[in-house]
Amino acid sequence: MTVPEPTAGPTAARPKYVGGAVKRREDPRLLLGRGRYVADINLAGTVYMAIVRSPHAHARITSIDTSRAVAAAGVLAVLTWADIKDEAGPLPCIDRYTDSLPVLQTALADGVVRYVGEPVVALVASTEYGAEDALSLIDVEYEPLPVVVDLDEATAGTTLLYPEHGTNVMTTIAQDVGDVAAAFAAADRVYEETFTIHRYVPMPMETRGVVAEVDPITERLTLTTSTQFPHLVRGFLSGVLGMPESRIRVVAPDVGGGFGAKCEFYCEEVLAPLFALRLRRPVKWIEDRRTSMVASSHAREQKHTVRVAVQDDGTITAVDAQSWTSNGAAYCTLATTPASISSAMLRGPYRIPHYRARAHCVVTNKTPLAVYRGAGHPQAVLVMERMVDTIAADLGRDRVELRLQNMLTPAELPSDRGTAIVLAGQVVYDTGDYGACLERAAEMIGLSGDWEAEQAAARAEGRYLGIGLASLVEETSIGPYESAVVRVDGAGKVTVLTGSSPHGQGHVTTFSQLVADELEIDIEDITVLYGDTDVVADGVGTFASRSAAIGGAAARKAAGVVKEKALGVAAHVLEIDVADLEWRNGAAHVRGVPARARTLGELASAATAWNAPLPGGMEFNLEATYQHQAGGIAFSHATHAAKVGVDVETGEVTVLDYVVVHDCGTVINPTIVEGQVHGGVAQGLGGTFMEELAYSPDGQPLPMTLQDYIMPTLGDMPWIRTDHMESPTPLNPYGMKGAGEGGATGAPGALVNALQDALAPFGVNLTSDGPWTPDKVLALIPEDPA
Amino acid sequence: MTSAPPRPTLIPVSLTVNGLPVDAAVPGRLLLADFLRDSLGLTGTHVGCGHGTCGSCTVLVDGEAVRSCLQFAVQLDGCAITTVEGVSPDGQLTPVQQAFQDNHGMQCGYCTPGLVCSLTALLAKDPSPTEETIVDTLNGHLCRCTGYQNILKAARQAAGRPVEEAHG
Ligand code: FES
Ligand code: FES
Repeated sequence: MTVPEPTAGPTAARPKYVGGAVKRREDPRLLLGRGRYVADINLAGTVYMAIVRSPHAHARITSIDTSRAVAAAGVLAVLTWADIKDEAGPLPCIDRYTDSLPVLQTALADGVVRYVGEPVVALVASTEYGAEDALSLIDVEYEPLPVVVDLDEATAGTTLLYPEHGTNVMTTIAQDVGDVAAAFAAADRVYEETFTIHRYVPMPMETRGVVAEVDPITERLTLTTSTQFPHLVRGFLSGVLGMPESRIRVVAPDVGGGFGAKCEFYCEEVLAPLFALRLRRPVKWIEDRRTSMVASSHAREQKHTVRVAVQDDGTITAVDAQSWTSNGAAYCTLATTPASISSAMLRGPYRIPHYRARAHCVVTNKTPLAVYRGAGHPQAVLVMERMVDTIAADLGRDRVELRLQNMLTPAELPSDRGTAIVLAGQVVYDTGDYGACLERAAEMIGLSGDWEAEQAAARAEGRYLGIGLASLVEETSIGPYESAVVRVDGAGKVTVLTGSSPHGQGHVTTFSQLVADELEIDIEDITVLYGDTDVVADGVGTFASRSAAIGGAAARKAAGVVKEKALGVAAHVLEIDVADLEWRNGAAHVRGVPARARTLGELASAATAWNAPLPGGMEFNLEATYQHQAGGIAFSHATHAAKVGVDVETGEVTVLDYVVVHDCGTVINPTIVEGQVHGGVAQGLGGTFMEELAYSPDGQPLPMTLQDYIMPTLGDMPWIRTDHMESPTPLNPYGMKGAGEGGATGAPGALVNALQDALAPFGVNLTSDGPWTPDKVLALIPEDPA
Repeated sequence: MTSAPPRPTLIPVSLTVNGLPVDAAVPGRLLLADFLRDSLGLTGTHVGCGHGTCGSCTVLVDGEAVRSCLQFAVQLDGCAITTVEGVSPDGQLTPVQQAFQDNHGMQCGYCTPGLVCSLTALLAKDPSPTEETIVDTLNGHLCRCTGYQNILKAARQAAGRPVEEAHG
């Protein structure tokens, strides 16, 4: 083989992409209207699915008459539970504890409906509007049953959703650390409080949707679905239908936000395939907004009671906590995770050596509840941070000082907290400087200096200002693993396959940054593919702030293996020992002879079948698969600080300033991280001041449109100021932790504490996360505020 | 005993979409959003709510920003419509679009086409809008991903205003 004259790569040091504010590579396509979301997919011959849903919160189905629909022109098929019960098993719940009672959902109601919106009958018609029309041709009769929507009533169990179990409490999670009884016996003071957290929802701007089709050649099923975890959906669907995974392809195209609502496996992902298998036509279903209010997972609703043991010097020695989560009518795919996280993480950054929690998952006649950005963290942060402020006020201590006194210091890390999170594992805080983070946030919001004078002066003028703090530690980057493939074509262009499928997080950009740095090539030379189980054989998904850290590490590791292979090929081509080569600027260089080099493309080309032979044992093609396994949970941390003003005439709260100081380890792209913080804070602010998925006592959901489920718009938002700290985690080869959820996790606690601070002169004690709408705020203020 | 499907009465409409003439016969109840997306394949226009609240479905009708989920296709007879696909004449990002990329004014991109259309309409009429006008325009849109701060920055950049400053 003739060795061509060496081509030298440029020798100047290449700037690193990681850590840089690289503009998103996915944006131009989306900005030009070329995105491809599920609703945009219109296959030839598509037929449309529509679903009859229960109007009752709890009822026995006494009869279903589908004959008028079956006879109607344009209606192609109708399915009830009786038609599919032998084909479709229950929907999975993957975070059940071994002693959890089995309360799983079915694709269509099995004789009893337990929430408004539960699917009862599904049909398919030849047009989308026609499918909606045909719903009125299905006659279902119900015998109403007693309804329980209140968490306390449900826990008491006078009305049971599943009488066969004799209780509505489906799981009780226990966390036991140290000697709580002894700590309380020795405590100088004990504080006790009950907190309620209301129900609100992720509400991505793109609703859910599916397209199912059977490939006429392979007879395999393709399910295109708006999901955060296509690979898991493939497994779930396989399990529910008893169909081998090899016969299923799941595609997540562009996904218009998820926040947890699309980290679920839903009945429509079973029903559309069942119709497609019967009709051999593509079956499409797009959730309308009204339906999404009841048919996509709900979130947050919990009640907490806490007792806190405190010494006179301000040391918090123990917490004894109970919580109840309103899980809705049945278990979701992720059902116990919110309760599990709340109970495992309640102590946040504080030492508190003795801790006991019992977290109960309770069924109620509401839409099933699952994870939403932060899962159980925001609730826990609100409870803990309200208690810390209460204690500080009672002891006459500065709230920053009291926090610092009780916070774990960097010297105390790693710290095994003695608790565990379902699916994720033991809680062992890894790295961070919680105190420095708090002090920085307090300084930025203006707590040092003359804040108290400013507040007093404003009050004298009838303006009520408050500052609230919330310090948090959050679970991120959970495993078990993520996979990646990196391959180089003969032109030196690189394809990265990741099993982690995005929905707005900018994976194309961050994964390109990581791989470009590893191979020292241009970011434009990289293509990132995801979201199709046939293209990327293996993967886990995007949730729990894990993608960039776990999936990104896998991609960069795979690129590293490719680089090693390339060096091996270079050694062969240049007839030199591999130890005499170094990788620089996308090329293998002979040490000391920089001009003797081979570029990545040349090496990739040399490793192909037609340019061989390679020496025995050397693999063809520059390609590598890498599975990065998380060595444990990485914990990000932050302090949020909010400044609010309350109009005591109208009850309106204005967020005047908002600061987030956070630490998510090594940052790949600060702009993207900041965007995640902004979005999370907006969701926390929405939940605190406007959003509620309220129910009437008889189980009817009250908001039905975005006119009555009020979400924040620009005018509701403060200008968010952020500052970053970087404590790399040893658990990740590149020090990365997760950044996706902290914004939503900290905001409710900081905002409620700020409101409390503003209204303190009225003797209020806020024990709920609201939503603090003007009417509710006004109710806290005496008639004559002066 | 399947009866024949009731045939919807079709109504002719003639309009211009992204500069091209379109002649069609449509059912009276067909929404403009569905007409653009399903009949014409212009899926860049997104439906986020279907009831006029979110602004995702915004298109330009004779230069005005209009919510296409609140219009029937037949109402547009004789009108000139520009969708997000037609905002840029040559497939290159317009200054409005570029501003979104420059300021990370988007994450999932679902709300983005509606915002691009609204701001394009605004700036065509008033190339130097006040901060208040910008905020008013943006307040008509819901975005669940960005928290709006970077959208505001993008809008300021497109309007030639200073990008980085707290708003009141
Ligand atoms: S889809 Fe038209 S305003 Fe929301
Ligand atoms: S970018 Fe996702 S809704 Fe705005």
